[in-house]
Amino acid sequence: MIKALAMEFQKIRRRKVWAIVAALISVQILLALWGVDRMDAHELSQGWMHFLYQFPILNSIMMPVMAAVVASRLCDIEHKGQTLKLLNTVMPAGRLFAAKFLCGALYMLAAALLQIIAIVMAGLVVGFEGSPPLDKLLYYLLFTTAVNLTILLLQQVLSLLFRNQMIALTVGIIGSFAGLFIMFFPQNLERFFLWGYYGVLMLVGMDWDRATRISDFYYMPVDWTGFSILAVMFCMIYIIGRSLFIRKEM
Amino acid sequence: MPDIITTTGLCKQYGKFLRVKDLDLRIPAGAVYGFLGPNGAGKSTTMKMLVGIARPTGGTISVFGKQVNSRNRLSILKHVGSLIESPSYYGHLTGAENLRIICVLKGVPDRDINRVLQIVRLENQKEKRVAQYSMGMKQRLGLACALLGNPKLLILDEPTNGLDPAGMQEMRELICSLPQQYGMTVMVSSHLLSEIDLIATNVGIISQGELVFQDRLSTLHEKSRTSIALRTQNNQTAEKILSGQGISCRRQDDYLLLPKLSDNELAGHIFRLFESNIGVVRIEERRKSLEDIFIELTGTAVSL
Repeated sequence: MIKALAMEFQKIRRRKVWAIVAALISVQILLALWGVDRMDAHELSQGWMHFLYQFPILNSIMMPVMAAVVASRLCDIEHKGQTLKLLNTVMPAGRLFAAKFLCGALYMLAAALLQIIAIVMAGLVVGFEGSPPLDKLLYYLLFTTAVNLTILLLQQVLSLLFRNQMIALTVGIIGSFAGLFIMFFPQNLERFFLWGYYGVLMLVGMDWDRATRISDFYYMPVDWTGFSILAVMFCMIYIIGRSLFIRKEM
Repeated sequence: MPDIITTTGLCKQYGKFLRVKDLDLRIPAGAVYGFLGPNGAGKSTTMKMLVGIARPTGGTISVFGKQVNSRNRLSILKHVGSLIESPSYYGHLTGAENLRIICVLKGVPDRDINRVLQIVRLENQKEKRVAQYSMGMKQRLGLACALLGNPKLLILDEPTNGLDPAGMQEMRELICSLPQQYGMTVMVSSHLLSEIDLIATNVGIISQGELVFQDRLSTLHEKSRTSIALRTQNNQTAEKILSGQGISCRRQDDYLLLPKLSDNELAGHIFRLFESNIGVVRIEERRKSLEDIFIELTGTAVSL
């Protein structure tokens, strides 16, 4: 498996997948940091919560696009060079599917880690009240990565099954719009849509006072039910997607 | 010689259409087996089933004496090199990088890369990106990839497709040299009868998914009989005279077709026709070409 994973990285040499991840994450971090230097004392006291509220919202827009692009970059090299029929004679299709997923997953994990680093560094530089809430940041990393990987998995299945990458990329873009829109749905409905899970697994809620126009953030309990449903979705997509890929004839 | 590949009742059905019907292939060790058939006859489908990238809907495949199933498929394929339909490659990587990927996945040492590049004469182009290769170079890279690990069996599907005449000749020479130099058995498909005639020792002809001929190429050649075509000013009388002398002849267009005769015999018969005042205006030796036999067998004109 390690050999297969190493070969996935070898295959994407000069494809600059890291550049796409870096560019999208940079844009996202710049958007998040917009106006941080103009925070007043009240906002600085809730600075960490502000970020943990804002990042999942931005994730719901950016991450589905990133997952779609990463999966497509990893899979379209196989379609372009008609290499699947050759690979099928030298390695099990299931291992190729897993290696490709792990390769993409490492990029998505790197993206989430970069976010955490950006949050902590920005908080410390601007002077948010209190030390970084490590437990909340770890939950954020876990939940963001879990949703990212499930979406990546779905994108990989589409990118592998359909030669035309526009199909997978269109699903990614629709998912990105849907992710944000679904946040306005009641939470029970939100749970039916994979792209809504950035919202379902948010750790921070917000009260907005219409009269004073002041927003107050507060920590919410972790939605383990939502996380469990997401885990089930992941397993189902993996099992069905892998089996469809294995059964596909070249 | 033992058979390297045997298939029994091999079938492949797509929807209601039976693409390959009850194929019983026998490919002896050390042979260059030419798998010949018109376009769409089922050659590629059969080869895909042999390397396991298409699943048979019926029948069995044995390679190296072992019946292939989903569990032993990859261990058997370790000793098989294949090039199906078109070469597989990563265009953004160099030739050497492409081969390294397959080397690692096949578990073949890296030093094999230079060996196969030398065989296909690509050693000077190995650091060039494959996207910049010509069609012929890509095809040779595909063959190099199939040769990695010095497989005992090579399955090549139309390997000269897209090559210029010089490239085709080079590829043919290479294929012919493989059994002697490396002890390989080669199965090579083509829709070009002339090509198979130049490289194969054994031949299988497939038509509409069915195997219509399978034997040594020399056996196919034996089927091509020589005949003498004679045109006279009075074919009807000439036919009577010749038949009277025990020569079986039949009419074809304006000619009488006689079996192969020695020069003396033929001269004697012609003299007798002169004696009967029948003018002989054409005498031709005709040989039934392999193409004629192919058409007879498949009912389809072969592409040339």
